[in-house]
Amino acid sequence: MISTNSTGEPALRIENLDKYYGTFHALRGINLSVKRGEKIVVCGPSGSGKSTMIRCINRLEQHNGGRIVVLGTELNDDVGNIDEIRREVGMVFQHFNLFPHMTVLENCVISSMIVRKQPRAQAEATARRYLEKVRIPEQALKYPSQLSGGQQQRVAIARALCMQPQIMLFDEPTSALDPEMVSEVLDVMVTLASEGMTMICVTHEMGFARRVADRVLFMDGGEILEEAPPDEFFTSSATSAPDNSCRRCWAIDWKQRSECVTPHAFRHLHD
Amino acid sequence: MVSLLRNQKVHNALLQVLYVGSIAAMVLAGIVIARRNLADQGITSGFDFLFKSTGWDVNFSLLPATANDPYWWYFLIGIINTLFLGSVGLILATIVGTIVGLARTSSNDLARLLGRTYVDIFRNIPLILQVFFWYAIITHLPTPRSAHEAWGFLLTSRGLYIPFPNVGSAAFAAATVAVIAAIVLPAWLGRTSRLAQPIGQRHTIQFAAAAAALACSAIILALGRLPDTPLLDFPALQGLNLRGGLRIPPEFATLAIAIAIYGGSYIAEIVRGGFKSVGTGQVEAALSLGLSPWRVFTLVRLPLALRAMLPILANQYVWLMKATTMGIAVGLTDFFMIVALTINHSGQTLEAIGILMAGFLAINLSLAAVFNRINKAIALKGNQLRG
Ligand SMILES: Nc1ncnc2c1ncn2[C@@H]1O[C@H](COP(=O)(O)OP(=O)(O)O)[C@@H](O)[C@H]1O
Ligand SMILES: [Mg+2]
Repeated sequence: MISTNSTGEPALRIENLDKYYGTFHALRGINLSVKRGEKIVVCGPSGSGKSTMIRCINRLEQHNGGRIVVLGTELNDDVGNIDEIRREVGMVFQHFNLFPHMTVLENCVISSMIVRKQPRAQAEATARRYLEKVRIPEQALKYPSQLSGGQQQRVAIARALCMQPQIMLFDEPTSALDPEMVSEVLDVMVTLASEGMTMICVTHEMGFARRVADRVLFMDGGEILEEAPPDEFFTSSATSAPDNSCRRCWAIDWKQRSECVTPHAFRHLHD
Repeated sequence: MVSLLRNQKVHNALLQVLYVGSIAAMVLAGIVIARRNLADQGITSGFDFLFKSTGWDVNFSLLPATANDPYWWYFLIGIINTLFLGSVGLILATIVGTIVGLARTSSNDLARLLGRTYVDIFRNIPLILQVFFWYAIITHLPTPRSAHEAWGFLLTSRGLYIPFPNVGSAAFAAATVAVIAAIVLPAWLGRTSRLAQPIGQRHTIQFAAAAAALACSAIILALGRLPDTPLLDFPALQGLNLRGGLRIPPEFATLAIAIAIYGGSYIAEIVRGGFKSVGTGQVEAALSLGLSPWRVFTLVRLPLALRAMLPILANQYVWLMKATTMGIAVGLTDFFMIVALTINHSGQTLEAIGILMAGFLAINLSLAAVFNRINKAIALKGNQLRG
């Protein structure tokens, strides 16, 4: 397990976060503090609010109550703060969301050139370095749709890294991939973790959670129900469950399945 | 022999020959029959009439025209009038359509409602009624003596008068070309230098090109100015009539407005569809990279929406081009009207209609060809169906 425990202001602090979609209460009083360099894995059944929570962190969703402080900057209606936070927080989506009209290289340089005002040569050098890192330097001049899903997701990671963010958010980065492509993306994420990046990953990849997570969060019904280091999280036995609610069963089910080696056994949990 | 007939290539070739041959035979038969019938009625067929003078006038022309001019010159006037009306109409319709279409995709409830009302009204009233409506409004504007005036523009029942530079026609044409260059050049530079310069620098180059072209056009206008006149000629009342400026006849204004408003409602739907087709995922990715909403619009939403819109837009443009023939309803001497008058005066029905169809075919095929090229140039690369 890798963790660089630095002190001072946490990378991310969420206090009493509430989020409504109309009248639907999607997040209920979420509290979370993430230290710099910490890796958090978030899991839970579909519709439990995982995406909503991490999308609040870079204001893709607007929260309705509570506070979010990212790298010491409070996320509020101040557009300047939002811009500042988005510059420092990278995000990788389930469906890659690459820009289809730009080459891989253009996808990677566009934001550093415009947002960071870097000269093209510098932006390209950085982009090529990150493409090297995600192991697809030879695809730089291709268009996204000419790549496989796994390659596209690695480009998406490189694109986010090109902004040299301090925090990376991953929303089920491997859920849309064919099984044989999952590991190439996870490998890149493991490398990133080993380099000390602060990461918050929504994922159902147990192996990944065990390897890199400092803490695993279990969410359901818009709440964080359990929060523990992976060893504890996966070993707390079914019988120790404090209540018998269905949610609890799901968590236990998930943990038990994580012991199982075949990924197909829990593929139904991916959506 | 039998085996030769069975050969697929030979088979296909024979079918082609048969197909083309039978069509040619039908066309030929049609021409022979038509000629015989015309000869029986004492009408000589052929294109000799093109070189006779017409003996009638046109009410609107961008070229000098008198009743002594031959028919071919009138046809040219007609084509140019149609092209001019078409270009003005298409440009205005595109502007209207873009504004209304963006309003329809906006997050503002009022803007959406207004956009929707606009589309519902103007898309569902036949174009011919709208033409009559605008014509009625324009011809009921006040007389020149009590014209509405705003910023040197005069609205009267005799047409719209606008201030116009006092320059020779050659200089005016050159200046127009320079203004067009100011629009086209930056777009072209933006494409060709995509990989060469940083974006900031590229914008500087584009800006410089546009500024240079505009400066050129200003210089041309200044140099081509008619001696001893002010640069801008303002329309003003002299006696009972208006002098000076440029007069846009009511017929032309009617058609331009009708096409802009009617075409705009269709284009608005195309624009809306184009923007709707842009995935929210791409927009969110761009936002999460820290790009400002404006940059997200210019770099992601607009380019992707344009790609989705262009093929349908090309269709719409061809369609609106054909709609310019409504000019005949209010007596605008466009290509169609000139052909209709020609038929009345010369009796050369088949020839005149042939010329009309060939003319429209040429205009619309060129339009389609231009759009196909643009489409190919900006098409998304690779197989989009792949995940
Ligand atoms: N844009 C939205 N509008 C309304 N409800 C939404 C929206 N996005 C998500 N929800 C609802 O919020 C809940 C949490 O969604 P989400 O965060 O996507 O869950 P997860 O990522 O854990 O599967 C779900 O019940 C979902 O239906
Ligand atoms: Mg989700």
